[in-house]
Amino acid sequence: MKVKEILTKILLIEIFKGLALTLKMLFSKSVTVQYPFEKRNIHEGFRGRHALVRDPISGDDKCIGCMRCTTVCPSRCIHIKREKRENKMVVIDYIIDASRCVYCAYCVEACPVCALVLTEDYEYSSYERKGLIFNKEKLLKNWDEFSAKWPADYYFNKFWQPPGIDPSRWPKTKREQGPVPLKRGVEIKREVKNEQLPS
Amino acid sequence: MNPENERELLINMGPQHPATHGVLRLVLEVEGEIVKRCTPYIGYLHRGLEKLAEDLTYVQSLPLTDRLDYLSSMVNNVGFCLCVEKLLGINVPERAKFIRTMLSEMARICSHLVWIATHALDIGAMTVFLYAMRDREKLLELFEMVTGARLTVSYPRIGGVRCDVSNEFLKKLERFIDEFPKRVEEYETLIDRNRVWLKRTKGVGVISAEEAINWGLTGPTLRGSGVYYDVRKFFPYDAYDKVEFDVPVGKNGDIYDRYKCRMLEFRQSVRIIKQCIERLPEGPILADNAPKIRMPASPLKIDKEDVQFEIYVDDKSVEDFIKKFTDIYASVEAPRGELGFYIVCDDSAKPYRMRVRAPSFVHTGALPRLCEGGLIADVIANIGSIDIVLGECDR
Repeated sequence: MKVKEILTKILLIEIFKGLALTLKMLFSKSVTVQYPFEKRNIHEGFRGRHALVRDPISGDDKCIGCMRCTTVCPSRCIHIKREKRENKMVVIDYIIDASRCVYCAYCVEACPVCALVLTEDYEYSSYERKGLIFNKEKLLKNWDEFSAKWPADYYFNKFWQPPGIDPSRWPKTKREQGPVPLKRGVEIKREVKNEQLPS
Repeated sequence: MNPENERELLINMGPQHPATHGVLRLVLEVEGEIVKRCTPYIGYLHRGLEKLAEDLTYVQSLPLTDRLDYLSSMVNNVGFCLCVEKLLGINVPERAKFIRTMLSEMARICSHLVWIATHALDIGAMTVFLYAMRDREKLLELFEMVTGARLTVSYPRIGGVRCDVSNEFLKKLERFIDEFPKRVEEYETLIDRNRVWLKRTKGVGVISAEEAINWGLTGPTLRGSGVYYDVRKFFPYDAYDKVEFDVPVGKNGDIYDRYKCRMLEFRQSVRIIKQCIERLPEGPILADNAPKIRMPASPLKIDKEDVQFEIYVDDKSVEDFIKKFTDIYASVEAPRGELGFYIVCDDSAKPYRMRVRAPSFVHTGALPRLCEGGLIADVIANIGSIDIVLGECDR
């Protein structure tokens, strides 16, 4: 027993075992992703850059100014400017301060018309703070940039209707929300219009 | 420094020292290589989470708890949810319990991987860092798949979990845990019997079982001293009473034993996840009486200022319950130790006071006891072995 101990000590057995492992790893397949040049696939439902969904019919955002997102936001980074015009609430501006946002997606869940979304975009760093304060125009632009990159014709965010939750917990408009057709699907847009006209 | 005693030297270690795991500052009084006195200074990462929680409703406070121990945010979320569920008397559905247990153990593996990576890097074994990060990446990807974020998950919610897990996720997780024990063996081949590692860890930073209890240590740091204590076993929460697992216990209370405990915990976590996947029941993932996110009824009403911060609890009976001025404590076994949430509530839906019992804070307090009398180089090994995260320590 003692001889064995001395031998292992002299022959550096445990160190050579470790070195053998590192040598083996030298010939195994690399797992490193060379980030700026090649990109990893982002899973659906990743909480990234904010965007306001552009309505395929009207071409504008869907926000109704109910203020639910501002109420639920833990970091209070959503500001909605509204005005009363002809007995109707009109949303003038919708501002999200992305530098304060904690990306919890509570606003996306709370929205009754699925107007807001945290897209799967994650490259939007800015050299100045102003670049991270998104107003309505910027948010719609974010959506256009995102939808141009999205491979499918339809987009549906996981947090609009979190899977597994009983739908009776949501308001009606939220329950009936289907996948949003993106700008490319022009034909779909017309079909929807035709259906609506007779009713 | 005492001018008469010129042999003593005052050293500031941190807050920018890379081996202090964040922004811990230690003031060391050294005589040659021996540390005579060690004083930790904390508070560089103080964000006032406890105070912030007083201004937010229970639902809103949840994302704050992500930022406590950012390496295992899932466990923090679960701890907070358990406390509020205890307060409101909500029974979580079985499926949600299993999902929570599963993801908590994933967070534990994640956190321990960062620990083994940085601890080994501090002591001088760089290869382990690369291998551990490789495996952590796979887990983070799984987290991203089901929760939508890699680190700050905000996944559980009061009364259940946010999203259901998919079969694809379960398959991927199963594949990961099948091969993960081999990975742990890889780390062990590299450092377990390495003579440099043994010299740096065996017999260093020894703390006896009695002293460890007196200092209030919990988690693997306590179990390394040979105390059999685990919140998961003694006060089972979620589905921990329905799965089988062992609690690894050390013997000598030195750095090596703490290391060994955590390495064995890897395997126990894998065991728990395996059982959770096998026994995952069907059913709802959210309790019926879970607080809904309450919203203003009509857009015209919301111009009133107070609605901005109105409560989210919709249920009248729950509201009545909260009106009784009560306090409640719930704790979970975080990767670092016992993480407790203590909430005093009044008649509003915001906590009157929220206090977080952070294991890192307690462990930092025991740091002088471990370091004093040792060498400067062992201070780094000690910091690594108690596994502190300053985000949790400073809160």
